[in-house]
Amino acid sequence: MSHEEIRNPKSEIRNPNGFCEITTAPLDVGAIARRTVPVNCGAIVTLDGFVRQFTKGRETDYLVYEAYEPMALKEMEKLAARAREEFAIEHVAIVHRTGRLEIGETSVVIAVAAPHRRAAFEACEWLIKELKRTVPIWKKEVYADGETWIEGETPA
Amino acid sequence: MRVSVLFFGATADEVGARELEIDFPENASAGAAFAEIVEKYPRLANHKLLFAINQEYASGDEAIRDGDELAVFTAVSGG
Repeated sequence: MSHEEIRNPKSEIRNPNGFCEITTAPLDVGAIARRTVPVNCGAIVTLDGFVRQFTKGRETDYLVYEAYEPMALKEMEKLAARAREEFAIEHVAIVHRTGRLEIGETSVVIAVAAPHRRAAFEACEWLIKELKRTVPIWKKEVYADGETWIEGETPA
Repeated sequence: MRVSVLFFGATADEVGARELEIDFPENASAGAAFAEIVEKYPRLANHKLLFAINQEYASGDEAIRDGDELAVFTAVSGG
């Protein structure tokens, strides 16, 4: 059994240049970043997106994330492939957690390994921006006195 | 022609189901099918909706086929 398999992701797409996963298990940004480090790389830029306690002044109790899993994985993989075409990077990992997440828990990790840091920073920023626009995952904010499915911006 | 239609998050709440089997006429376009779904569940019109066929975003011009997987959901909010 490989290193990856014992992490028991719910669903995943893997290729030699990275992996995309959706899982209900807690995420560890450092562990995800270090699962692959190509020998020609000198930097990994990571995004650790976590559950915010206050949004526009309103206190969140917890979040629930839901994904259209097979489509979300395909869209994540398309973004990773495009990032590898457009930036001088080697390896992309995108992992999103679903289910109930408490304040401060990590909801999304993006890790980009590159020979040099600048391209990794740029690709990481581009990937999270596109993920929030195109990958079919939704968050519900649950408050002390109600709950709301958050609706994003419509993709162009 | 029978297709399954999936709903997520807010659209699942509005429809009261996560999956429905719906009959459409042969050669129906995706746009016509999605319009019919919104007509049947008018509360969906309160949202900015996105549509997918077989796990790809749909333009509306495509013909749908027996056994396709359609999906109706709101603008995404992951991250």
